[in-house]
Amino acid sequence: MKCKSIETWILRSLDGRLDERSRALLGKHLESCPACRRLEAEYRSIAGALRDERQAAPLPGFWERLSPRLREERKVAPLILWERWCLRAIPVFLTLVVFAAALFVLTPQATEMTPSEALLLQNTSPLTETRALFEEQRPEARNMMLIFASADDNFGSRRQRP
Amino acid sequence: MEEIQLVRLAQQGSEDAFEALVTKYQPKVFSMAMSFTRNREVADDVAQDVFLKAYLALPKFHAKSEFGTWLYRIAVNHIKDVLRKKGRAREIPLDEVREIAADDGSAERAEMEKEAAVRRDLVHKFVASLPEKYRVIITLRDIQGMPYDEIAAILHLSPGTVDSRLHRARKMLRARLAPYFSREGGSDEM
Repeated sequence: MKCKSIETWILRSLDGRLDERSRALLGKHLESCPACRRLEAEYRSIAGALRDERQAAPLPGFWERLSPRLREERKVAPLILWERWCLRAIPVFLTLVVFAAALFVLTPQATEMTPSEALLLQNTSPLTETRALFEEQRPEARNMMLIFASADDNFGSRRQRP
Repeated sequence: MEEIQLVRLAQQGSEDAFEALVTKYQPKVFSMAMSFTRNREVADDVAQDVFLKAYLALPKFHAKSEFGTWLYRIAVNHIKDVLRKKGRAREIPLDEVREIAADDGSAERAEMEKEAAVRRDLVHKFVASLPEKYRVIITLRDIQGMPYDEIAAILHLSPGTVDSRLHRARKMLRARLAPYFSREGGSDEM
């Protein structure tokens, strides 16, 4: 047996995981090798110190202290669940708002029609009134028509000026 | 009543059933916490938190493993969190070891019990300085004496990984204690 592989055997032996034959071989090697014997003593000493942990008794009244905390948590748990859902809902809501805003901005808006366009849509010539003005023979009537047309322009009811 | 029945009743909201589970597992959970923290009050707080977490997580327990294994997994994870919050594991400088060793010299003249306590403290200080994964495995196996398969189930590791990690942890611990061993002049006992 070589000293190089002895460490694994020592650890298995201390763990009680070495079969009878291997244990005998290990014992024989340890008898003849002071370095490995020292290694084994060191591991045994460490294992002993670790096992030697004195078990402190738990503090009294463990359940009496725990049960009020459980009841408190039972009350708080649904609220925490609700808060968690709310926290998850906030980013979803913000995403929806951003998406809706993007849709609103990117969708082409219906433009307002000018009075001329409205007249054309109604299949009516926008020059009808103008033609009537020019065709009027009586000057006073033409002047009155011009005054009314001008007044209509000021109120913005007629088509926009160029 | 069988444990699985107690678990089912506790899942349905029975406080008595959960109390029975706490009574059964409290010593082990406390002992585990004590092994890591080495402080009775802190270990008690940790054990309380572990049972509180287990109580809140009960609906998620589907009996795929033993209740004890599931509970110890919660305990180990919680203890890791506590230790991380407390501060990273630190290397122990040689000066500090010599300081402990000086106490050991006076202990040789004092009672055997005091000497053993000093030895325990020294080894535990070095265990606490190991990287977390080695510290956990050496605590579960060498202090708590848990079987390999249970450690494997708690840590979600294969038994082979438990074996190799434990081997490395023990070697690392011995290597860190080596200066102390050599200072002792190669005696068989620390």
